[in-house]
Amino acid sequence: MRAYELMKETLSRKLYIYIVHLCWFVTYGLLFTLRVQAAEHFHRILFMWGGFFLPLVLSAGIFGDDISSGRICVLATKPFWLGKLYIYRLLGLSVQGAVHFVITGGILLIVHGITGLGYIDDLDSWLFSSWLLFNTWAAISTALSVVVKRAYNFIFLLAALLFFGLLNSTLGWNNPDDSMTKIISAFVKYVCPPFKLLTRMVEGEYSKYSLIVGKYSSIKAVACVVHTFVLTVSYSIVGILLLSRRQFTCSRE
Amino acid sequence: MICSNNKQTMVVECEQLTKVYRKLLAGRSKDVCALQGISLSVAKGQIVGLIGPNGAGKSTLLNLMAGLIFPTEGCVSVCGHPARSIEARSGLGYMPEHPTFLGRYSAWAILKYHGALLGLSRQTISVQIDKLTEQLQMDEYIDRPCSDFSQGMKQRLALAIALMNDPSFLLLDEPSNGLDPIGIIQLRDLLKQLSDTGTAIVISSHRLGELDKLTSDYIFLYRGEVVSFGEKITTERIGRLRVGLVSNGSQIAKKLLPPSKLISNSETELVIAVEDDDEVPDIVGNLVKSGARITSVLLQREDREDIEDVFLQLYNERN
Repeated sequence: MRAYELMKETLSRKLYIYIVHLCWFVTYGLLFTLRVQAAEHFHRILFMWGGFFLPLVLSAGIFGDDISSGRICVLATKPFWLGKLYIYRLLGLSVQGAVHFVITGGILLIVHGITGLGYIDDLDSWLFSSWLLFNTWAAISTALSVVVKRAYNFIFLLAALLFFGLLNSTLGWNNPDDSMTKIISAFVKYVCPPFKLLTRMVEGEYSKYSLIVGKYSSIKAVACVVHTFVLTVSYSIVGILLLSRRQFTCSRE
Repeated sequence: MICSNNKQTMVVECEQLTKVYRKLLAGRSKDVCALQGISLSVAKGQIVGLIGPNGAGKSTLLNLMAGLIFPTEGCVSVCGHPARSIEARSGLGYMPEHPTFLGRYSAWAILKYHGALLGLSRQTISVQIDKLTEQLQMDEYIDRPCSDFSQGMKQRLALAIALMNDPSFLLLDEPSNGLDPIGIIQLRDLLKQLSDTGTAIVISSHRLGELDKLTSDYIFLYRGEVVSFGEKITTERIGRLRVGLVSNGSQIAKKLLPPSKLISNSETELVIAVEDDDEVPDIVGNLVKSGARITSVLLQREDREDIEDVFLQLYNERN
């Protein structure tokens, strides 16, 4: 009952969440039917748009709104471990993401089946990795929302992504063999949500290195999934610790 | 300072409670001591009014009791458990000063949501919602979205949320904000009823007149310290001497009388606290001797002391 209410709240807390889902579906549909250059191109857009931007928008202010309105004070006086508040809200986002990607896949398959438009090669793998990425970003964004007010978690994450992305590409372009460049690249690759790893996994790039099942390397693909899962759990633990140790004041903004 | 001697009946106990807010401002830390070494306790069934000027530390004390913030020193226990523990929170009902809700939810959905967070069963939630809807007369708008609610409706809903778990300890921050007179009377009756059933209630309010009708136990906070606690406001402790003035008697009164005596001091009227009628001739005589031009003198004896007077008296003593 408690879990259900907290998970449901992530969807029904604001009207814009429904609108966001709808906008994303329309975007996928348009890109799919417009036959964006090649299948890979479309799938990557789906991966970025659904796996990265969607969780950021859906989790904007997920705790920050409660903190700035003072509503958190009533929630924090309820008799349950505060970590559950984080876990159930993240699960709510995750379920939303799963349903979102299932619906997306369903719609694209139906459109393709009826009109023959678009590409459905590896669509299932792309949707799965989008969901994995979705969970990791949702965990980071939700953890950040525990410490910043309103929907600033969305803005901060975008800024951080821009900063690390620019830093990584600038250093890589100027000094690819520099040790600092390698450290930053490794950080972006393994500590930040694994864009590259998941993309490579779905594209079957790891197949030449180890045991092959179809076009995928089973061991490396499992490692990618586990790595993403471990990151999600790690970010969640940070979020839970922050929430458990945080002090709340009831001043309203 | 303990209000009741019976430890068994204590619901809330604060021991040597200190709260310092550490703020890092422009590279230098600027500490604000909101509460300093406060010890108090609230017994079962007791209603305590938490009063004091702005910035006295009332909200900090409420937040500490609710377990929303951690004390810098000392400890707070609720029903024998540390304030932030799950056990302490299971008996706590909390109503914030400015309640906010998810605007898209109806009052019924909000109560259901909070019932679920409390871990109540579906059936218990339903029974509680029906009971509280009737008690707080929320029938008319129970199905309406909260975004349409007036301040009074929000207050009733916030109170209903605080009462969902039949709490043994109720913390109310300005509960009568925005309530109509009927609502205020209902609130008062309800709180008295709860107190009779053993619920300990702490109310922070600036509406002293309202508090006065509900309780005679006060915690007066001033600059983070308890000035007065558990003091029953007894009848006829002071009388009020109203002195009408023409000239600058207000300045003279300031020099002549101790601040604790001076309840109010304007250009045209002085209100002075007098414990004994025999004091009156001396006070008036001294004022006249010092050059005050008096137009009228009126001694008022009231059946009971007004909390506003006590507040002003305590405040003036420290200012």
